[in-house]
Amino acid sequence: MSKLGAWIDERTEWRTRARAWIDQPVIGGAPWASAICASVVACFGVLALTGVLLMIAYAPSPQTAWASVFYVEHVLSRGWIIRGLHFWAAQSLLVLAALHIAHGALAASYRKPREIAWWLTLAVLGLVVAEGITGGLLPWDQRGWWARVVEGNIVGLAPVIGGWLQAMLEGGPELGALGLTRMYALHVVVLPLIFVVVLLARRSITQRHGWVQGGTEVPHGPALARSTIVAVVVVFALFALTGWAHGAPLEGPADPLSDYPARPEWFLMPLYQLRKLFHGPSAEFMGTSLVPAIAAAYFALLPWVDRKGRPRSVVVYLPLVAVAAGTAALAGAAWNKDAHDKLYARARADADRVGAAAVQLAMQGVPPAGALEMVRNDPELRGRSLFAAHCASCHVLGDLGDPKKATASKLDKWGTTEWILAMIHDPDAPEFFGLGPYKGKMPSVDQRPKDKGADEPWTPMIKSDAEKAAVAAFLASQGDEPGDPPRATDAATLAQGEKIVSDRCTTCHLYKGDGDLEGSGIAPELAHYGSIAWTRSQVASPATDQTYRDQALDPAMKKHMPRFDKDLSPGDVDVVARWTRAHGRGQTLP
Amino acid sequence: MSEGPKTDRRGALKVIAITGGVVGAGALAVPAAHFVVAPAAGGAGEGRWIKTVALDSLKEGEPKRVPLVADRRDAWTLEKQVELGAVWLLREGDAVKAWSVVCPHLGCAVDRSATGPGFYCPCHDSSFDPAGRRVSGPSPRDLDALATRVEDGVVAVEFQRFRQGTPDKTPMG
Repeated sequence: MSKLGAWIDERTEWRTRARAWIDQPVIGGAPWASAICASVVACFGVLALTGVLLMIAYAPSPQTAWASVFYVEHVLSRGWIIRGLHFWAAQSLLVLAALHIAHGALAASYRKPREIAWWLTLAVLGLVVAEGITGGLLPWDQRGWWARVVEGNIVGLAPVIGGWLQAMLEGGPELGALGLTRMYALHVVVLPLIFVVVLLARRSITQRHGWVQGGTEVPHGPALARSTIVAVVVVFALFALTGWAHGAPLEGPADPLSDYPARPEWFLMPLYQLRKLFHGPSAEFMGTSLVPAIAAAYFALLPWVDRKGRPRSVVVYLPLVAVAAGTAALAGAAWNKDAHDKLYARARADADRVGAAAVQLAMQGVPPAGALEMVRNDPELRGRSLFAAHCASCHVLGDLGDPKKATASKLDKWGTTEWILAMIHDPDAPEFFGLGPYKGKMPSVDQRPKDKGADEPWTPMIKSDAEKAAVAAFLASQGDEPGDPPRATDAATLAQGEKIVSDRCTTCHLYKGDGDLEGSGIAPELAHYGSIAWTRSQVASPATDQTYRDQALDPAMKKHMPRFDKDLSPGDVDVVARWTRAHGRGQTLP
Repeated sequence: MSEGPKTDRRGALKVIAITGGVVGAGALAVPAAHFVVAPAAGGAGEGRWIKTVALDSLKEGEPKRVPLVADRRDAWTLEKQVELGAVWLLREGDAVKAWSVVCPHLGCAVDRSATGPGFYCPCHDSSFDPAGRRVSGPSPRDLDALATRVEDGVVAVEFQRFRQGTPDKTPMG
């Protein structure tokens, strides 16, 4: 081994060079700066290593980005550790870069001849933020995509070149495939190269001048050993963060058509809040760009601002505290508003639900058209969003629909024995017909009508509880589909229920096409009531003999159930019918 | 005597090195710059007429969100008949008003207000009245109205994107 080393040394002098590098004295005197610097380098190293590893599995296109990140996070062995380390090293780097600047300002490490090293330190924070913004888009999930859309539009507000600059970053008029590849190239090659140059340039200056005034020469070896220990501690801290968070967050695939409550990354939340204090497009640009630019310029000019005769408490400490406190206050205000915003909480919960469902779906494999197609075509998610968009303005089902605004029946348990039993007893209860056009149209099977005096002759349609139970069980069984669990009700009871229905209900209702003696058209067909075919037919149009008839669409029936076959594709009608039926019965779609 | 030719020669080498460097770098820079800038250079875009829903399915006074389905091209990908975006449609007699769901402020999707009759953007709290006029929040202009026409009982909308965040409505490519 040493022979090989000697052979190489003879030709390259690597031993001499390495020894010279280690023996070369450095300027000490700023242990905190050295420790922070070592931590920055450690994080950068972790980012570079995990970044290259992630590149092995990442595929930057709108169809594949989310799927490949999902694959890394949830399928690939130790993928969550690699991605988690990358994510947490990036977050830590932001904090460290800010600390580095704060320490530099306090320790006056911007003073001659360290001005350039100071600017490079400021540049480190800028680069880390730029890496955070470009990297946030790469998973192509809801959070990253929407944050970039809004930030791209803020860039577009810049005077004169705004529109051009936005198109340059986004690769066209909309954030699409070319925007993703651009951000990717910036994130993995351009910005890291600049980062390396900045770190090396900074090192060569501080090796000559030290971090602060008055440092003396110290041997390099011990300093290097201390830095190594710091770096190891940092790496273990990153492992701890990764383990605590179990990887890194990944929301559902980016969906440009969703009502996503976009929020920026945490480190931009102060700017998000600051923006709200400015009104009007030019003022808004000032809020998001000029205010931070002025703060950055102030720090960059510290070597000249902090002159002899000017109290440091005013020119350094006060601005530093003001920036730190302002940032914290803005972030706190933004967080506080969202924490108390019910609409936000609801939109957030929706996004989280879709995100979790997307991961479950992706476990079975993502189609070549991409993760968004997968989510959009999933019957469970699609059914829910169709119900929310088209049905929930009148009906209530689960957490969808507002009971205060409902004008149609509540669909929880719809089609079950329990629902039918309650319904035939009191059809005008608010959860059935009480709030809509069918109020008063269906008599109770066992209650005396309100307009019949106590002395008038009246017989209930169904006399005993046993008969009622038989009717309910029979009607519920009409909705059964192949594959449903078998019913406990015996065949005799079902037959009894069927006989009662066909004898006594068909004055108004149809049963197997017969009945409705007065031709009212507003009492539905009871055969296959609650089945998929019945529900699908009802959603497509209530005015077919399969459910209700023409009269169901009579404008005099205010707020009647509309037909959806003109608005929705047959596929969507099918999905929303299946979804509604399944969720009424407390099931989900496969 | 001995100084002259040496400086001349050094100067000549300097000129050759710098000129050569500039020419070589320039030769690379021109196509490189074109490569980077070209996809971003898009002029003002034309609207596309897209058919949406039947006029009969719209109720007076009740805005309805409908998807716009057409082909979409994104660089090398062509998707047939996908949802490009959505519009809010409001029927007024036999005419229909349409607004883009894209918030004119910074581009989030505008939803119906949960507390009032108008529209609301969940990102920065801009709100608009039922006629699309801005009521409060940071949006610099009203909701972007889109042209509509009714063809054989079906509402067609001229789909277009506009620059975000500006007081005036500038079409984008």
